[in-house]
Amino acid sequence: MRAFGNRSLVTTLAMSVLAFLYAPILVMMVFSFNDSQYTGLPFNGFTFRWYEALFRDDQMLTSIWNSVYVGLGVVVISVLFGVPAAIALDRYEFPGKGMFRRIVMLPIVLPGIITGIALLGFYLTIHLRLSLYTIMLGQGTALMCVTITEVFARLQQLGKSQAEAAANLGANDWEIFKNVTFPGIRSALFGAMLIAFSISFDEIAVTFLLTGRENTLPMTLWSLLRREVTPEVNAVATLIVFLSIILIVAGMYASRGNANEREA
Amino acid sequence: MTTIEQTVEIKRTSIRSARAIERRRLFLWLVPPLAWFTIFMLIPYATLLYTSLGHVDDMRFIPGLSLDNFVRVFTVDPYLSVIIKSARIGLMTAVFSSIVAYPLAFYLAFHVRTQRLKFLIYLLVIVPWWASYLVKAYAWKTILGSGGILNVGMQSLGLVHEPVRLFLYNEFSVDMTLTYIFTPFAVLSIYAQLERVPTSLIEAARNLGADGWMIFRRIILPISVPGVVAGAIITFSLAFGDFVAPVLVGGPDSVMISNVVINLLGVAFDWPMAAAIGLVIISLGLLLISASGWLEERTQTRF
Amino acid sequence: MTTGIELRNLRKLFEGHGHASWAVDGVDMTIGAGKFVTLLGPSGCGKTTTLRMIAGLEIPTSGQILRDGQDITDQPVTDRDMRMVFQDFALFPNMTIQDNVAFGLRVKSKRGKYTEPQIQQRVAEFLDLVHLKDHAYKKPHQLSGGQKQRVSLARALVTDPKVVLFDEPLGSLDANLRKIMQLELIRLHRELGKTFVYVTHDQDEAMAMSDAIAVMSQGKVMQFGTPREIYDRPANRYVASFIGHAHIVDATVDSKQADSLTVRLGNGDRVGVRGKADAAPGSAVGLMLRAEDLTFTDTAADAIGGKVVDSLYRGEYVEYVVALNGNSGVVHVHARTDLPQVAHGSTVALKVNPAKAHVVVH
Repeated sequence: MRAFGNRSLVTTLAMSVLAFLYAPILVMMVFSFNDSQYTGLPFNGFTFRWYEALFRDDQMLTSIWNSVYVGLGVVVISVLFGVPAAIALDRYEFPGKGMFRRIVMLPIVLPGIITGIALLGFYLTIHLRLSLYTIMLGQGTALMCVTITEVFARLQQLGKSQAEAAANLGANDWEIFKNVTFPGIRSALFGAMLIAFSISFDEIAVTFLLTGRENTLPMTLWSLLRREVTPEVNAVATLIVFLSIILIVAGMYASRGNANEREA
Repeated sequence: MTTIEQTVEIKRTSIRSARAIERRRLFLWLVPPLAWFTIFMLIPYATLLYTSLGHVDDMRFIPGLSLDNFVRVFTVDPYLSVIIKSARIGLMTAVFSSIVAYPLAFYLAFHVRTQRLKFLIYLLVIVPWWASYLVKAYAWKTILGSGGILNVGMQSLGLVHEPVRLFLYNEFSVDMTLTYIFTPFAVLSIYAQLERVPTSLIEAARNLGADGWMIFRRIILPISVPGVVAGAIITFSLAFGDFVAPVLVGGPDSVMISNVVINLLGVAFDWPMAAAIGLVIISLGLLLISASGWLEERTQTRF
Repeated sequence: MTTGIELRNLRKLFEGHGHASWAVDGVDMTIGAGKFVTLLGPSGCGKTTTLRMIAGLEIPTSGQILRDGQDITDQPVTDRDMRMVFQDFALFPNMTIQDNVAFGLRVKSKRGKYTEPQIQQRVAEFLDLVHLKDHAYKKPHQLSGGQKQRVSLARALVTDPKVVLFDEPLGSLDANLRKIMQLELIRLHRELGKTFVYVTHDQDEAMAMSDAIAVMSQGKVMQFGTPREIYDRPANRYVASFIGHAHIVDATVDSKQADSLTVRLGNGDRVGVRGKADAAPGSAVGLMLRAEDLTFTDTAADAIGGKVVDSLYRGEYVEYVVALNGNSGVVHVHARTDLPQVAHGSTVALKVNPAKAHVVVH
């Protein structure tokens, strides 16, 4: 039996932590229906008007779409460049490997603003105009380590022998990747994509300095929060939480189908 | 004679060289990410270095080879004190989130009985990521502010007569907000480590007569250290670089290092100074990675 | 030109954290075509690394691997037509058993050789050969360890390679299943006539199945010969003590005849040994005494004296532990169970079968 310790104490503590995590989210949700100009007490009554306002707010809708666009771009970048990096780190010894690993991990510990300022200086030097793409490149660099660490950990766990067996049976590089490596890392890769997208979707620090004329959702909210705050802000956040839950659950169920295969 | 030489020649070329292929493969996998990190990290850092060695005169950048800006980071107020303060906030956040995260990770790893419930709770840990950071931080204001839910509630219960202002606009409220925001990272990190503990270990300990507290203190806690360390590094780093919480819930003097950098760029146009601070923090970051790698290696339990 | 696989001074350096060691340290060996050759040794002796170099999964640090006279040292694993059966089976978890077995027939390098119906038929044939035709559509995680090993075997054999390599394939199976699989492997080797190179640490397995055994230790081949040679005439103390229940007693060469010699134990007892040994009279040697070659005798002449210190009833025989007189060593003796029991502490005289006694010099 795995469980030990005072069950009711552990459960109570765990539930308190969950309550701590969800209290502001519940407050946020409740006040998205508040029939008042302000997102605070008193609660004047139930209304959908902030959701209606949201769907008429072109700036808000555009920035949601911009965030999705940037997030998808970040996912593509971190898969295209992160998976090869993870494979290189897993399979080969090469000079400078330790330094390469540190450089890759650096954006995790670095304040986003620092990544931002370095890239902004670089963009200004090469006269690259700030746009959604400059954000994408910045976030892609910062979040690539998520893909690299997740995929690397899975590759280490999988071991070498399946790939060796495939090579031993005469498979070429592409056949080994398609039949062994990719099926092995699929669920880890999916998880990394999910995490990279969700962090990108809510990213402010790197984005802050790299934004041109088009704003992502957090940047729009940031400018709103510094001026006047209406419950429309709560409505946006609430809507996104529900959409994301649906997406995550659907995605996890889709990927769970082949999750038990790697046990073998 | 010629025919023999020819057959030898053919035999040689018909065999591909494994060593050459191995080198080509490494090249193939390594070059794209290496190129990416060179272009989007190393070259920008080099640009940063170039900028930091110059200075600004009358809003114009003058290139130079002076280390003045680096000296200023450590000698001129408020740079060093703000870095130290940011580190202190980062440390408090790391400590608080480890403490808050541990019971939930523990519950998830040892007390959840069905896979379905485990999946549900795991999901509940991840979902807060999706609720906008800004809106969540703002929601704390709604709860903790002088006209907020907590104060109104306490007043209506007669616990206090005046609104308590202690909860907001000070360094502690920054610590708490950041702890709240980054705790899920710590939960996942500690959980991943606890999940590795073999069930047989607990059964063996119980079989030897250990009670729950002893199992926790002597077995589970030491094993969980690398997970706690990994989570603490992430929460520390995220909190250290934050600039939103000080603006939303911090007091008038609670600027952190990222706010200083933003002000240097946006208000003072002092790029070289900002670049110097950036490089100092990059060096500190590299140190932190090396230290954390060493620490996790040292504390890791092999099964 | 030799047919088969020839290893010439093969070496492999493993570099770890700050230190390097020779995993394989100068292996010379010829594995004849169609033979069943086993690399035998304890873990860490370099046998698996040697096998992996033959397969092309490791590149040798120095030395050569020849196949039918052709240098394949640096040939990529994909191009070598040698199939390996892995210790952990290495089945592809995302494919059915059928697709696992068909994998080697469907790779691009084999494209056009077989049509899909031919592949199906061949796979069915080989699944039948390993008694798994009812499991074709299962996934690997639905099979038992023994079944997985059979799939791994079928997957290796289906492409009709000339050489099959085995890396401790029965290591994770229980004793009964191991015996059954040993018989199957011998049958397959006999029926298919392929070269089998087999790695194991289990000497019974090696003795039972192989045409030749290479006993390895610390990256070197200690002896390469038939099971009988290795059992009866071990080249050195290491091989003698590794194989069978042999005890080595320190002795000195007393006198040497044309095809026999006499050695003297520490306590003065003399033992005659048939055969030649590369040792001059007076030099120190080890006398190998196996439990089954020793018998109790009534006459003290030409016998070794000792005292029974322990006895174990083994069912097939009784095993006595005998301490030789004068602290010159301990030997085990197997005695028939229908003979009267020898009591603890009794003084006994042991007769050595001169044809089976053996002297090791190194």
